Amino acid sequence: MKSWNGLKRWGGWLAAAITAVGLGLPPASALASGGVAPPKQDWTFSGVFGRFDEASLKRGAQVAVEVCMSCHSIKYIKFDHLRSFGFSEAEVKAMAESQGKTKKDKMISGMDPQAAKDSFGTIPPDLSLMTKARKGYEDYTYGILTGYLNDKEKEMVEKIFADGNVLDPEIKEAAEALHLGHDLEKAKKSLERIHRGDNFNKYFPGNFLAMPQPISAGQVTFADGKESSLEQMAKDVTSFLAWAAEPTAMERKSAGVKVIAYLVLLTIMLYAVKRRVWSRIPH
Amino acid sequence: MFKSIMEWVDARLPISDLIKSQATEYPTPKNLNYWWNFGSLALFVLIIQLATGIFLVMHYKPDAALAFDSVEHIMRDVNWGWLLRYLHANGATFFFVVVYIHILRGMYYGSYRSPREILWWIGIIIFFLLMGTAFMGYVLPWGQMSYWGAAVITNLMSAVPLVGEDLVVWVWGGFAVGDPTLNRFFSLHYLLPFVVFGAVFVHLWALHAVHSNNPDGIDIDEHKDSLPFHPYFTVKDLYGVGVFLIIYCGFVFFAPNYFAEPDNYIEANPMQTPAHIVPEWYFLPFYAILRSIDFLGSFSKLAGVLAMVGAIAILFVLPWLDRSPARSFRYRPLSRQLFWLFIIDCFILGWVGYNPADATVFGGMPIVFVGRAATLVYFGYFFLLWLITAFDIEKPKPTPTSI
Ligand code: HEC
Ligand code: HEM
Repeated sequence: MKSWNGLKRWGGWLAAAITAVGLGLPPASALASGGVAPPKQDWTFSGVFGRFDEASLKRGAQVAVEVCMSCHSIKYIKFDHLRSFGFSEAEVKAMAESQGKTKKDKMISGMDPQAAKDSFGTIPPDLSLMTKARKGYEDYTYGILTGYLNDKEKEMVEKIFADGNVLDPEIKEAAEALHLGHDLEKAKKSLERIHRGDNFNKYFPGNFLAMPQPISAGQVTFADGKESSLEQMAKDVTSFLAWAAEPTAMERKSAGVKVIAYLVLLTIMLYAVKRRVWSRIPH
Repeated sequence: MFKSIMEWVDARLPISDLIKSQATEYPTPKNLNYWWNFGSLALFVLIIQLATGIFLVMHYKPDAALAFDSVEHIMRDVNWGWLLRYLHANGATFFFVVVYIHILRGMYYGSYRSPREILWWIGIIIFFLLMGTAFMGYVLPWGQMSYWGAAVITNLMSAVPLVGEDLVVWVWGGFAVGDPTLNRFFSLHYLLPFVVFGAVFVHLWALHAVHSNNPDGIDIDEHKDSLPFHPYFTVKDLYGVGVFLIIYCGFVFFAPNYFAEPDNYIEANPMQTPAHIVPEWYFLPFYAILRSIDFLGSFSKLAGVLAMVGAIAILFVLPWLDRSPARSFRYRPLSRQLFWLFIIDCFILGWVGYNPADATVFGGMPIVFVGRAATLVYFGYFFLLWLITAFDIEKPKPTPTSI
């Protein structure tokens, strides 16, 4: 009991000191940003037993080669690698040739970096590791591809500015729909930028990026006849990029299942031996 | 055949005696619980790191222009290279998990108390070396976080009075983190684990001089209450290794980047600072302590560094701060409460360290306030432990006379 009183007294001093040091002094600095977390998607390749869907990878590679590669490189992948998920040698050769390359070449974009800088103000990043290099991973890449304004949203923004009279309720409504946050002044600035034609994306940190919307519905005619909706293309090209980020991932997971099964068995046996050995001594 | 060879060797180098006295028949308290598994686990992880590291070096290129690509080459082209790298990267994480538990075990059961002070000191030295090794290893893949983490941490040396700025340039080998920095970090990253290995040897030497503590924290009657290390503890430790491997391999095979920062998959770019520089999780509590000292004007940096180093160095004097007649917190209710507060506080510090320095929490309070309070609680643990034991505020329960 006495010890408790002692602790309480010292505890009081400690609390006082915490308040003095912790709360009495101003912090060194303060800040904020834009862009919301992308929604989670179902990926066939996630989880212990998830695997890539080869048809999706093939469609994704088609989107990557026909669309993304006009600006982005995928430098850790050679065209020949694409055969590992079902393309024939002739198909790979044709894809490489469409980019002025041979099948032994890396997937390097034909766009000159200086030209890219001139037109976009920045060099489009290499996509080989994209799905591993952003928080949100595959969901983020998918989010970027689908996070541009759709027709309805574009129309909504244009309507705000059409009558030359920008009203607070209109901004509020648009801010809500586009996840622009609660600061109306800031939301208004963003809407003005959209109106001027800057590239707005719901999921890009800071909302405005140098990449114009790269894919829209119907842009690619899939070799397997699948309908090329925006979501389908985004899903396929993201799956392909997930493959490109770690072509050994499925090998890793299959090996993992065997390794863990083996370890569990081994550990159960070790536990049995341990019990047996320790049973010799009375407790 | 084997027997006669061993006799021949033993006559010249008494290996069998050594194995008998220091390993198989080494007397071990019979009441050790599973928290005593973490020492052998730490050694096991060290061996994993050495084995995978040596093979990684065969393919890695310590050159600012090639390092990032060479790690991707390991991941993609080297047979089982992805396994080597993921074992190594997650090995570092699990090394800290194991070592933190090992240290906290010592703190709870009073393993640092006389006569184990030197054993405890060597442990702290190992911990410092481990942090240095992991920090320099993290620079090697030369991603954005490697580069900027290295820049932030090495910059701390500029806080040293008078020679600070020159010291930083000397450490960098230039006027910024660059190729020379990568080269020397690679050299040291290869060297330090072997120094750790040597220190582990001395650690065990000291252990075998004073023998293991036990959950009751009392001196035991070795004839009555100890068991030969083999088979009792070899099999128990092996079982621990099995459980450890299941968890560790679970991450290696199914979530190998769980503890990694996505930014480190972007190649280092000295022209572009990442939005938010975070160290690896195992440094976060200390990083939070460093940043929480921001109210001393131009002395803040130096004071922050001293507080950060002091947060670990204070462990050196722990054996003299704790004056309780009982070692184990099993018999020390107040110390036990402080201990759990300390653990919670470490998690709070970790959370503060993970957040940007200028983040706000609880509707507008700057997070650094939480950091400062948690730093005070961190050091408060050591102060209060001294206080309640030096002035007999804590009345320990009677300890048993035998286990
Ligand atoms: C017209 C050229 C162009 C095309 C075509 C293009 N991109 Fe981009 N992309 C860019 C530019 C420029 C950036 C840099 C944006 C920035 O940093 O502001 C970029 C950035 C990105 C980013 C990174 C965003 C971030 O977080 O930094 C992703 C992901 C991306 N592109 C995916 C794609 C995919 C997938 C395709 C093909 C479907 C594609 N891009 C097609 C120009 C393009
Ligand atoms: C105490 C033991 C060790 C620890 C804690 C440790 C820690 C680390 C860490 C954290 C990384 C970065 C991993 C990543 O994110 O990619 C790394 C990389 C590396 N380490 Fe170690 N390491 C240890 C021992 C060794 C040894 C003994 C060697 C060589 C003999 C070695 C060679 C390498 C190499 C070549 C890399 C770069 C490749 C890579 O990044 O995967 N390490 N180490």
